[in-house]
Amino acid sequence: MSGRVLVVDDEREIRRALKTGLGYHGFDVRTVGSAEEALPELGTWRPDVVLLDLGLPGIDGFDLLARMRPQTRAAVIVVSVMPGQGDKVRALDLGADDYVVKPFGIEELVARIHAVLRRQVDVTEGQPVVRIDDLEIDLGRRLVSLAGREIRLTPTEYEVLRHLARHRGKPVTHTSLLKAVWGDYAIGDTYNTRYVIGQIRRKLGDDPASPRFIVSEPGVGYRLLAD
Amino acid sequence: MSRLSRKNVAPYLLAVAGAALITLVIGLLEERVQVANLSALYLLLVLWLGSRNGILPAAVASLVSFLLYDFFFVPPVGSLLVSGPREFLELAILLAAALITGQLAAALRQSQSVATGLAAESLALYELATVALRLPEVTGALELLCERARALPLVKTFSLVSAEAGEPALVAGDQLDADALAQASWSIGNRRSLGCVMKEGRLTLTTTSPRPQRELLVLPLTSGGLVAIIEGLRSELSDLHMLSALSGLADLLLERRRAAVEAERARTLQVSDSLKAAILSSISHELKSPLTSLRAGLTALASPGSGVNAEQRDLLLGLDGQALRLDRLVGDLLTMSRIEAGGLPDLQPRSFGEIVGGVVGALPRQLSPFHLVVDIPEDLAPVQCDELQLNRVLTNLLENAAEFTPPGGTIAIGAMADEGRLVAWVDNDGQPIPHADLEHVFDKFWTRRATGSGLGLAICKRIIEAHGGTIRARNLRHGPRFAITLPLAVAPAVLQ
Repeated sequence: MSGRVLVVDDEREIRRALKTGLGYHGFDVRTVGSAEEALPELGTWRPDVVLLDLGLPGIDGFDLLARMRPQTRAAVIVVSVMPGQGDKVRALDLGADDYVVKPFGIEELVARIHAVLRRQVDVTEGQPVVRIDDLEIDLGRRLVSLAGREIRLTPTEYEVLRHLARHRGKPVTHTSLLKAVWGDYAIGDTYNTRYVIGQIRRKLGDDPASPRFIVSEPGVGYRLLAD
Repeated sequence: MSRLSRKNVAPYLLAVAGAALITLVIGLLEERVQVANLSALYLLLVLWLGSRNGILPAAVASLVSFLLYDFFFVPPVGSLLVSGPREFLELAILLAAALITGQLAAALRQSQSVATGLAAESLALYELATVALRLPEVTGALELLCERARALPLVKTFSLVSAEAGEPALVAGDQLDADALAQASWSIGNRRSLGCVMKEGRLTLTTTSPRPQRELLVLPLTSGGLVAIIEGLRSELSDLHMLSALSGLADLLLERRRAAVEAERARTLQVSDSLKAAILSSISHELKSPLTSLRAGLTALASPGSGVNAEQRDLLLGLDGQALRLDRLVGDLLTMSRIEAGGLPDLQPRSFGEIVGGVVGALPRQLSPFHLVVDIPEDLAPVQCDELQLNRVLTNLLENAAEFTPPGGTIAIGAMADEGRLVAWVDNDGQPIPHADLEHVFDKFWTRRATGSGLGLAICKRIIEAHGGTIRARNLRHGPRFAITLPLAVAPAVLQ
């Protein structure tokens, strides 16, 4: 699988290393050092994936993310040096697809890029049935089954699972789950989502300590495993 | 009668002299004009004395007037005898009218003086309170209050003390000698007033007899206290009223001062915390950026498409391992600095199993050579923790276990509830930790490895202890065990 990758990072050495490294893995790579340079590239070159450093001079990564989201469908992987979760959550809520923490190796990055590209294909094809191992989520008929046996979920549980399924493989923040299920005015209490996830896991027999389907992303939210 | 001064006798002398003068006037008038009931003139005197000096001088004036009128004007003139019922009635009316007039006038005077006193007190307090509350510096307001209190005739010295950190310190007013400060300290410390009592907003002096000339008063307030030396002989009611009102205001102001002091302290701490955080984040950025270039570059060159041979590739991956090690070291140092820079963990009820799942899922490469056993009861109550910090602890413990377990060995992670606490453990079947080392494994910069930072387990210990938990290392028969305890959360009501 290959594709066009736009690297937005203000460190020249990182740009050079990524251009070379991703090139070896078959990607078509362009690099820019600022958000100002990135905007025209997004419009004309139409990359499939944007690797976005959050700490840019001038327009910062968050601003760029907010500005580019209406006009591009490129998958965005944010790159952050901070171990804190606040940046990740904010970037994901602004529409980022995944995040990697600096410093990373090329193999890890390539795996992430492949994952977001695969998900893009899924989304464009609009698969009505999501399968993970023996779990089947039929988004068209609103049916969930495990090893062929139907699992009865409450409407709220189904909505939470549907939201995770529509973004499977991608970390989904507590906030975005709250909004998707309880609407824009949902109050930011993560207890609700934690409770519902707990119920879904129980019904799917998914042990949170060694999950088969739903993994928690500490301080961020949840991720439905892809395949 | 030693207390009868000239000032005290004067109204009575005035009563007698006034009555005599009016008698003379009536005598002179009666010879020239025929006016009935000239005795009413005496009432003017009684009225005047009553309103000026109170009931007693007015009563004396009434009595003297009665006797003089009887002697000089009521037949038989020149004697105190009365000739008939008409004359008797005239005299009785005079006496009654005089006494009643005197009493009314005196009552009027009394209430007027009370009203004037109250008005003055209110005005003074109002002015003081307005100025005091308008002053941005609460100390200035407290000084003003002390000045006002010192202006009272009763009060000799007046001071306000604060009681932060246990020891009273002078905040405003007069200096206190060591003895007074010691007494104030005792009184405020035990919340017992000295020399006075405050009941229902009214201050009264406790009587000791004989009352000393100068007496120390200490009144404990909400945050601090009031210390005054009063002249024991005087205890004007209005002064005490004023003093009670001032103590109320002092209470408010001292409380405001305490709040201001605390707010300032909190602000300073916050500024210093955010400064530390900013510095750490900047250092973090500066150290991680070159590491990112290094790792990205080295791993890029080691990629299959780069054209390097196996030997070169091996070298590059070895170098990347060194960069990774440097990153771990930097990460550990920064984490330790963050923990030591303060900041309490953000405690929330969290599922321990879920946190374990997240940690295990994030370490596939490190854990893949081992047989991993996870044993966490599904009905385990939530644990009260900072999710990210606990994540860090479990990551460190698992990485540590991976380091000391031979490939193919077993790493077990488990938990159970025990009397309101979570007991969790990470076991491995590697070599036991030498007995002498067991007590040092959590020390900062102590390490069993040639390459470790010596911070991983020290970080675990800091984090767990900040959570009110414990962490221990010991050797089981099959290998070392790291065990932690943490408080379990009181589970919130189930809702959906």
